[in-house]
Amino acid sequence: MTNIKPNSSSHKSDPNRRQVLAGSAAVAAIGAFGLPVGAQTTAAPAASGAFASLGVPHVRRDGAEKARGGAKFAAEYSYPGMVYGALVYSTIARGTITSLETAEAEAAPGVVLVMTHENAPRLERPEPFYSSPTGMAGSSTPVMQDAEVLWNGQPVAVVLASTQEEADHAATLINVAYEEADAVTSFDVAAESAQTSFYAGRDLLIEEGDAEAALADAEVSVDLSFNTPAHNHNQIEPHAVTVLWKDGILRMHDCSQGVDLSAITIAKVFGISSAEVHLSAEYVGGGFGGKTVWQYHILAAAASQLADRPVRMSLTREGVFRICGARAPTRQRVALGSDRKGRLTSLIHTGTTMKIENNSMTEPFFEQSEHMYRADNMHLEIRAGTMDMLANTFMRAPGAATGTFTLEVALDELAERLAIDPIELRVRNEPDVNPTTGREHSQRASVDAYREGARRFGWVPRSGQRQGYREGEWQVGTGMAAAYYPYKRFPGGAARITLDREGGALIETAAADMGMGTTTATAAVASERLGIPYDAIEVRHGDNTLPGALIAAASQQTAAIGASLTAAHEVLLAELASLVPATSPLHGLPAAELGTAEGALYSLADPHQRIPLIDLVAWSESGTVSAEGQGGPISEWTQDWSMHSTGAVFTEVRVNSVTGEIRVPHITAIYDCGKILNSKLAESQFRGGIIMALGMTLMEGASFDERNGRVMNPSFGSYYMPTHLDVPHIDVGWTDIPDPQAPTGARGIGEIGMSGPAAAISNAIYDATGKRARDLPIRLDALM
Amino acid sequence: MSYISPTKIDEALEVLSRGSGKIIAGGTDVYPSAQLGQHPDFYMDVTRIDGLKRISVSKDIVHFGSAVTWTDIINADLGSAFDALKATAREVGSVQIQNAATLAGNVCNASPAADGVPPLLALDASVELASRAQGSRLLPLAEFITGVRSTVLRRDEMVVGLQVPVPPSTMTSAFEKLGSRRYLVISICMTAVNLVLDQDNRITDARIAVGACSAVAQRLPALEASVIGQRPADVEIKPEFLAPLTPINDVRGAAAYRYDVVQEQCRRAIMQAASR
Repeated sequence: MTNIKPNSSSHKSDPNRRQVLAGSAAVAAIGAFGLPVGAQTTAAPAASGAFASLGVPHVRRDGAEKARGGAKFAAEYSYPGMVYGALVYSTIARGTITSLETAEAEAAPGVVLVMTHENAPRLERPEPFYSSPTGMAGSSTPVMQDAEVLWNGQPVAVVLASTQEEADHAATLINVAYEEADAVTSFDVAAESAQTSFYAGRDLLIEEGDAEAALADAEVSVDLSFNTPAHNHNQIEPHAVTVLWKDGILRMHDCSQGVDLSAITIAKVFGISSAEVHLSAEYVGGGFGGKTVWQYHILAAAASQLADRPVRMSLTREGVFRICGARAPTRQRVALGSDRKGRLTSLIHTGTTMKIENNSMTEPFFEQSEHMYRADNMHLEIRAGTMDMLANTFMRAPGAATGTFTLEVALDELAERLAIDPIELRVRNEPDVNPTTGREHSQRASVDAYREGARRFGWVPRSGQRQGYREGEWQVGTGMAAAYYPYKRFPGGAARITLDREGGALIETAAADMGMGTTTATAAVASERLGIPYDAIEVRHGDNTLPGALIAAASQQTAAIGASLTAAHEVLLAELASLVPATSPLHGLPAAELGTAEGALYSLADPHQRIPLIDLVAWSESGTVSAEGQGGPISEWTQDWSMHSTGAVFTEVRVNSVTGEIRVPHITAIYDCGKILNSKLAESQFRGGIIMALGMTLMEGASFDERNGRVMNPSFGSYYMPTHLDVPHIDVGWTDIPDPQAPTGARGIGEIGMSGPAAAISNAIYDATGKRARDLPIRLDALM
Repeated sequence: MSYISPTKIDEALEVLSRGSGKIIAGGTDVYPSAQLGQHPDFYMDVTRIDGLKRISVSKDIVHFGSAVTWTDIINADLGSAFDALKATAREVGSVQIQNAATLAGNVCNASPAADGVPPLLALDASVELASRAQGSRLLPLAEFITGVRSTVLRRDEMVVGLQVPVPPSTMTSAFEKLGSRRYLVISICMTAVNLVLDQDNRITDARIAVGACSAVAQRLPALEASVIGQRPADVEIKPEFLAPLTPINDVRGAAAYRYDVVQEQCRRAIMQAASR
């Protein structure tokens, strides 16, 4: 193995920061609900003072390093003799390479290697998501193994050279000729043969009763169509990897969301054991579902092997658009039928999306419709067509991002027809138990979120009449929508706790921190579990040699870490029990009757009986006490309970009656996501999601040329996202009610911000102008 | 490929006479639009040439050297007739772009959506060209740009500067830009207006130019003529005044939408210029 140390970070917190919390969104929300602060309790003695960790707005542990430029990202590692990679992308959507002229590139200054399918090492196809428990690749498309081209933008050659500029230049000297084959690059054509799809282990079809008949018979109904475009990932850090083959180990500095699964997937491609891959990603500049295994890793490692040189492969922004997939386009139908009182008699949410032959990622846009509202009859179905395009994949709040847009606009339209306030309509259809599984909610306070949001926003209830008004040429309106994202916890979580002689603890877990604050939250959870001060906790993460196979995805990583820490803590208690001297009253107590708090091991039955942890560590043979645990069965959400986060989003929108310009001056959002572990990080996560959703609503869209399957706007110059001037004041809050079934009381907060704003904005536009916007993005001329 | 950075005009013209190179100043259009790895024989950087970074005002002429950046314009002490040009300068790209990009570069790049062109047309700007073989010549801006990304600039020729006849001290101006977000955005359309009002608040001189609604930005002579003698609030923008425009449907907006918006931009810019 190499001797590069796993990543670690420690941090000194500023005690004054705690004072700042008073008056913040967190306290306001708690006050409004009359909830006890720190309602999630651990065993007595209660955490206090230096031991208080959960709910405290600790600053991000990696913040200072990033601000200083000290944080080292994947493309910032270097090795002696390292060369730089550049890619040549196909310019046809489907066909065969008939010739590759590489001589000029090979002779160009600095060039070390030109790799094509003709000289690339033989590789297995990568395992995509859902094809195996460890599949981490975007698709199973072979990586430069033959002359076949399967999408416009597929890498057809790799150039390695002494500098990035030389590699980029030489890449332009390669001439590729193709024989084009018929390609399916039209949504309409592909939709004709779309089939009911399969995703994450189930068919995307739910039918309860006869929803169409109920719709036809409904006293009041709406039946609406929506379009949403393809989106591209635009993490601030473009994908990059630095690769070194040395002493039988493939060393990769990557920007992965799941280091262990990436390492396993890449090992299988090269036919080596995962112990022969050492993959780390200490800092990741944003992931959002896109930092998984794409061709660049494999090409970099293959070229490095062929050239026998370390390689850095850093994608250009265009490269990210060409070879790293994102959200697929959708066409959706939402039809709702109800009685006059607004009780849903029919809920139909169906539609079509696109995928490729070599993946099984179908954008699951009906998920919120399964879990948000009760309805007497339901028909939920997603059909997927197959196109010759870059593999689509996860992008922040897959399914829910566009699915809440369509469902929540439809509810607004139904509320108007019923002359019922939109909040009241949602309240009347709030389910007592999960509408499709029948399971009990582990914790659900959606209605509280609606009410609190309405109060803070100043919502004016309406009954079928628009409340919009004019200010000069500006038409002003307000709108609301519900937010939704499921709780999940994936198997594979594990963590190791090591107590040291100074009273501190080291937490090791192969989790990823993509900038959202995983290490900070992990330290807080560990501090609370162990009863060790937050500042005395060190966290190492982002390295596949550490315990566990975690992935920062589906807003579930914090739950997975929490369960792992709980398990490791139980093992640790047993280790500590074995060190208790015979003279102590604690001697002989089983682990189940012991706890740790305030730096000591104590008896649950008699908390005054305690031994300082530093004494126990000192009595150990090795001078450290270490314990590893694996997160237990994940049945809390797969079998036992209905576990879903919800929220309410309110927006004010101003539409210029002359130019159609849309401004969003104010957004309020209240979330019911269980316990909030760190208010500062949570606010940032929620706001980030809302800003991304604002972009999805008003700007974002990949321009896909249906003639040739090429994305036409692969740059920040033409793929628009909000600038600072476009981002309004965003007021966020939360119910902060711990979920008793979630390992830390928290259900996850990474993605829910992405759901809700699109519908709330569209509904507000209607309130302002009387025009419904059902296609994204909502452009200026759509309202004229 | 070589990179040449002369310090004298003569030296620069000599370089250009030698072969096919690309003139570059801020590089903010040239580099992004270059095909990856495909370079001309040489780049010639004009930003170090003596005098080209200067804005000078004589009795008759305001002269902008061809290396004058948008930031230089924002910081220059110019009369109210140049307010539109200054407003434009603040809306071209980001501050970083404004620090590097030049007015002359914006004109030479000849994008239909070049923000700098409408205000320069409204200022009656001319382009000053020079070459070793044929010396210098002066062309009205409207004759310099001939189409989408094309100009009359000859291979051995460079833009030395832009000349604006000193406007009346009472002339005011305004610029309107519309994009699909608030900042860092390619214009859907933009309008520049320069006006002179008499003591009775009637328009005595009007120059109105519209960009991104035709292959080359243009003045609207019929509209200009119609507003003479009117009070700004009474101005009517009849559709026939916009007849010279030929907007297209694209991802940024529909043609019909551009017609509507330009009409409104003209009205707003006139009102805004008149209020200064």
